[in-house]
Amino acid sequence: MTGFILRRLLWTIPVILLVILFTFVLMRQIEGNPFRRSERSVPESIQQNLERKYGLDRPWYVQYAKVVKGVFTFDLGPSLVLRNRDVNDIVRTHFPPSLELGALAMTFALVFGIPLGMLSALKANTIFDYSAMFISNVGFAVPSFLVSTLLIYFFALQWGEWTGLPTSGWDSWESKVLPTIALGLGPMAYFARLTRGTMLETLQQDYIRTARAKGLRWRRVVVVHTLRNSLIPVVTAAGPILGFLITGSFIVEQIFAIPGIGAYYVTAVTARDYSVVMGLTVLLALVVIIANLVVDILYGVLDPRTRDARA
Amino acid sequence: MKGTRSKRTGVLLGVAAAMLVLLVTACAGGDEQGEAADGVITVNWGSEPPSLDPGLATDTTSSNILNNIMDPLLKLEGENLEPTPGLAESWEVNGTTVTFRLRQDGKWTNGDPVTAQDFEWSWKRTISPDLAADYAYQFFGIVGAADYNSCKQNCDAMADEVGVTAVDDSTLRVELTSQQPWFVQQVAHTSFLPVHRPTVEQFGEKWTEAANIVTNGPFQLDTWQHNSRIDLVKWPEWRNAQDVALERVNGRMISEGTTAVQAFEAGEVDETGALGGLPPEELPRLKGLPEYEQTPSLATYYYGVNTKNVPDVNQRRAMSLAIDRRSIIDNIAQADQLPATGFTPSGMPGFDTITPNSEYLPETADVERAKELMSQVQDPVTDITLVINDAPGHREIAVAVQDMWRELGIDVEIQQQEWAQFLESLGPPPAASTDVYRNGWVGDYVDAMNFLELWTCDSGNNNTNHCNEEYDALVDEARQTPENGERYELYGQMEELFFGPEGDMPLIPIYFYTNVSLQRESIKGTFDQNLLDQIDLTKVVEGDAGEEDV
Repeated sequence: MTGFILRRLLWTIPVILLVILFTFVLMRQIEGNPFRRSERSVPESIQQNLERKYGLDRPWYVQYAKVVKGVFTFDLGPSLVLRNRDVNDIVRTHFPPSLELGALAMTFALVFGIPLGMLSALKANTIFDYSAMFISNVGFAVPSFLVSTLLIYFFALQWGEWTGLPTSGWDSWESKVLPTIALGLGPMAYFARLTRGTMLETLQQDYIRTARAKGLRWRRVVVVHTLRNSLIPVVTAAGPILGFLITGSFIVEQIFAIPGIGAYYVTAVTARDYSVVMGLTVLLALVVIIANLVVDILYGVLDPRTRDARA
Repeated sequence: MKGTRSKRTGVLLGVAAAMLVLLVTACAGGDEQGEAADGVITVNWGSEPPSLDPGLATDTTSSNILNNIMDPLLKLEGENLEPTPGLAESWEVNGTTVTFRLRQDGKWTNGDPVTAQDFEWSWKRTISPDLAADYAYQFFGIVGAADYNSCKQNCDAMADEVGVTAVDDSTLRVELTSQQPWFVQQVAHTSFLPVHRPTVEQFGEKWTEAANIVTNGPFQLDTWQHNSRIDLVKWPEWRNAQDVALERVNGRMISEGTTAVQAFEAGEVDETGALGGLPPEELPRLKGLPEYEQTPSLATYYYGVNTKNVPDVNQRRAMSLAIDRRSIIDNIAQADQLPATGFTPSGMPGFDTITPNSEYLPETADVERAKELMSQVQDPVTDITLVINDAPGHREIAVAVQDMWRELGIDVEIQQQEWAQFLESLGPPPAASTDVYRNGWVGDYVDAMNFLELWTCDSGNNNTNHCNEEYDALVDEARQTPENGERYELYGQMEELFFGPEGDMPLIPIYFYTNVSLQRESIKGTFDQNLLDQIDLTKVVEGDAGEEDV
């Protein structure tokens, strides 16, 4: 297992190098001047001063080498747009809220999605199943910006006196409730459907019949034999979804005015803030790599056969 | 082995149950509400200020905060934004020399006095190529500034040549390259605020953080949680602190217009932030509220024409005549903007003299006349590419214009581009495929020169490929004309050259912007936004709700 993890971690290095290369090339390919922020033109001498200050007047390979060095020494230098801040400072301040929001949403999705799917499978084709699946279909289909707006409207505005939930912000635990639900609802619905599907399939398996035939208690059959084996597809999906929840919460962050990394990512791309885009892309690539690694480790826990296969 | 696994499942289920309880209780309790009173208000700054360094700030959010934590040499007050004394108790203009006399009681929050040397050092710092300030060009009217900004070697010597001199602790002398009647007004811009040298030298780029910053204005930076909140507290030792009613200004950063309105309605903020505006789809409802506030803004929304692609002036006139400005304002923009009558926006000093009230810029479309002019066009351009940026609202206006121009037999293709790409395609010169582009201009200082000098032949902001030497000559003449009335006449002649009966029409102005926001009734009477979109928090007084103008 340790060997496996080490090998996977080593593979991260070439992956990151590729990520750097693609990001570097793509950002330089799209048009746009990081120093022209408004409709006002930038006088020539000022443009030159800015390019010199940020090393953009150097040949591309020098810039590229500087970026690679920056990534591996964890120092990507200053933002080209937020003039008093550097990439490290932005990551340090704004990654934790995104990470927290992603983790909360993921927990919400798993904690409600899996039991919902389980119950639906166990009560398949009953009114409970139909309503649970209807809810999860809606949760999956409705975009997060609409969910967010509706949640704010009802829970913070209409019933705000009773719930005590604020409309926006990220400075108290009350303020974290609505964004967590808004971001977690889609994945929750997805997990519910996934769990229901695989569970129904597992329940048909011979070993379940055997387990029941040998007189095991139903609860034990469900929790140990069925659920455990039904979770593998859920875990497979959970890795990328966790990555997505941490990195893709831009809209929810924007609507709830959460000081997360999403807003910086989107505005950095729009503003051609090369150093911030690079730093955040590498960071988010790392998040996805780690999430996938965790999934692979969990496979081994859930299904020993996969562990043996790669040992 | 199996036992431990099922135990683990048990733990998981337990955690699940705990989470559920947590979420349910979350929906139940809590009563953290309560109207702020006694000099504490909560505003919405709208977004994170990119920098609170006066030398580096370029946007309105930054300037709104800076103007309240720093002490400018002079302020622009009243309807016409007349310069009134701030840290400078007086100033005198003598040809190309401007001399400011500083008050004796100005000081920094660490106790140091504010001196003329502070200004000299700060201004030269902003001009210096090392700082690479975007707005260094604000100083290019000062002798030696442009040269110093572009210097490659001997920069120190060139810094000494810059025409900013602290004659003594309280006298600042500025040498201009020419008479610039608007220079005194221009000094109210945040670029001209001083910074505290020892602090800047000690902390480098981090000097603007709340823990480090030293300021000299009516409020102090109490908290800066990036992209979340900026709170200001009254600085009791400011020279006029006795006149400041507010004790504390908490500030959120809610960029989403709908959320800002919801936060206002939930009582979390006392105003929605004028800069983000209000969501147009909600405006019909919000306009009826007593908290609705609308102020004019020194800004023009216009379409520019690539005159190389649309060379016939009659076609440009026809296109402008066909636009129904009233309909665009009432049905799309919806914030009671004013139909444009020229390029210089309403509210500009001398507006009545300057604006051409052009027959080609009708409030409601004059389709008959437009068709008549269009029929005189030798080779009409019937396929037009209209380039807009992807900010909200522009597409809707473009679609309406597409419809209006269809009546002239013009087929419009709307090309929507992301901001940075859009700016690249503007040029100058504009991309060859661009026939018409959307743009806006927001004033930096209160003189029509700030709008009209955009259209000289070699201007970096002239994206129309249009060049009229007569126009350029008028701009030069106006730069040398210190007397306001005479200068306004010249501005009026420039507008005539564009929009008069024989005008060139390289631009199709559509409307003059307004700012709309919601403000708690208790502050509405005093929470005034001036034409440059700035709010002076020293003037804000909390009254009883419902009673304006206490």
